[in-house]
Amino acid sequence: MTKEQLHEIAQKLRLEAVRMVYEGKDGHPGPALSIADIVATLYFDVMNVDPKNPEWEDRDRFIVSKGHSCPIVYAALNERGYFEPKVEHFQLRALHSIFQGHPSMHSTPGIDMTSGSLGNGIAIGAGMAYAAKYLKKDYYTYVIVGDGELQEGVCWEGANTATGRKLDNLIVFVDRNGWQSYKTVDFTVGMNDVADRFRAFGWDVQEINGHDYDAIKGAIAQAKSVKGQPHCIVCDCIKGKGLSFMENNNAWHKGVPTDEQYAQAVKELGGAQS
Amino acid sequence: MTKFKGTREAYAAALMDMAEDRKDIVLISPDSLKAMRAVDFGEKYPDRYVECGIAEQGAVDTAAGLASAGLTPFVGTYAGFLTMRACEQMRTFVGYTNLNVKFVGVNSGLLGGEREGVTHQFYEDLAVVSSLPNYTIYTPADPAQCYHAVKKAAEVDGPVYIRAGSGREVEVYDVDAPFAESGVTVWKEYGTDAVLFSSGFVLDRVLAAADLLKEQGVNVTVADINILYGEDPTQILEVMAKSDQLFTVEDHNINGGLGSYISRLACEHKPAFVTRIALTTYGESGPAKELADDYGFSPEAIAQKVRDTLKK
Repeated sequence: MTKEQLHEIAQKLRLEAVRMVYEGKDGHPGPALSIADIVATLYFDVMNVDPKNPEWEDRDRFIVSKGHSCPIVYAALNERGYFEPKVEHFQLRALHSIFQGHPSMHSTPGIDMTSGSLGNGIAIGAGMAYAAKYLKKDYYTYVIVGDGELQEGVCWEGANTATGRKLDNLIVFVDRNGWQSYKTVDFTVGMNDVADRFRAFGWDVQEINGHDYDAIKGAIAQAKSVKGQPHCIVCDCIKGKGLSFMENNNAWHKGVPTDEQYAQAVKELGGAQS
Repeated sequence: MTKFKGTREAYAAALMDMAEDRKDIVLISPDSLKAMRAVDFGEKYPDRYVECGIAEQGAVDTAAGLASAGLTPFVGTYAGFLTMRACEQMRTFVGYTNLNVKFVGVNSGLLGGEREGVTHQFYEDLAVVSSLPNYTIYTPADPAQCYHAVKKAAEVDGPVYIRAGSGREVEVYDVDAPFAESGVTVWKEYGTDAVLFSSGFVLDRVLAAADLLKEQGVNVTVADINILYGEDPTQILEVMAKSDQLFTVEDHNINGGLGSYISRLACEHKPAFVTRIALTTYGESGPAKELADDYGFSPEAIAQKVRDTLKK
């Protein structure tokens, strides 16, 4: 898929995610927009999946470890055709909705793993990747983690396991947008040197612009060429990317757009007001 | 059946005996291969032994990932490092997801941890796991029962927690006795002055207490509870119906284990006096027998408690 096509899809997913939060009156739009381009590239260009058979055992696996970003994943699954008929109103976080506040693998077709409790995606992904090796399957496991999330110790437990077990079929993206719930990641941990930290754990590491589709695709291809090590792609991202009033404004870590802000989102993301 | 001597050896033996036919069984080790006596498994099946290092939370997560791909991971290590340190992973990524991960918690209770002291004695594990929906809880009373519990766990569709000791357990069951599906095994039927329910590795002590009581003119029934909070307590209720005086004996905190379970069943089905013999404090280091005796689990102390209660 060309970068123009991916951009068009990503913008559409962004608007869907914002609409989901707007209609549901709850959710985390900023963290969702941050990873929109990675999610669009994975679901529409990279991952080997079958939306009609979401449990297909040979499918590539995906975990959004920073589970509060799920609106963008729900939008991607919808656009990719996982739901019949296509969902018009997500009812995010509503009672009995299949779209839980954080991803639930038994609630939503296409969600490979429950997430939302920060820190667990790398170690779980290591299990999925190990299973592929043991079962002699060639699927890849992709995990998106937040840079703030990496403060959770269990991330590094999983990082050790992935290195120790030589899981070169595990690719972890770090959404390095520099923010966490309250302040910056720099404020919390001194310096947000994610790449050095993963290198120190024995990972194959690349650093890219997380909003550059060619860079994302290129990094994945490069990762797949390196054998014997797990892969980390550190993605410089902008929290709230794509909406002028959300970009780098941490007030949108969690928040609901007003009617005017939603209208603005429709305008900026190129959608038609329904 | 692979021969085994203690409870941890029984775990490893059961895995070895299943491994040939069950290619889905994999062993997750938070650096517990030696502690779980499973070195032979690791050597025979190196691709089915997943070392995660001294990192229980990550190990439980990795097990969840393996289970999501259709495998049946067994995670064995110290009971508290699983149920407390990795409690949230056991809840959210195995319980909530209802994945097919089997946990074996060793060093449970004073008897399990004995000389190691409080940091390695776990008398809270059942309280934790019993509040997690989807878990099946097995409390084998000796090494042979642990062997059969591990095999039975592999047949269950969903998460299982097996409470195990460390090797100080007295052999009570016949080595071939199956793990009771009903969740209860009646051992003595001297009479119905009281029913003594036992959980786990104190069974030999409860049986000795029943003999003491018989000599003293108090005739009781003794039953071992094999499954806690199981789906169908019918047969446990039948044993409970034998007397209005019920006693529970467990090497666990007084809250959340056998005593809580029997109390709940009594409340919901048939009111009875339930006296719980269990721990109310942390323990300390010491030889297993002396430690258990000192904390109220000697046959004499159990018998005394029964007599005193019945006199009231």
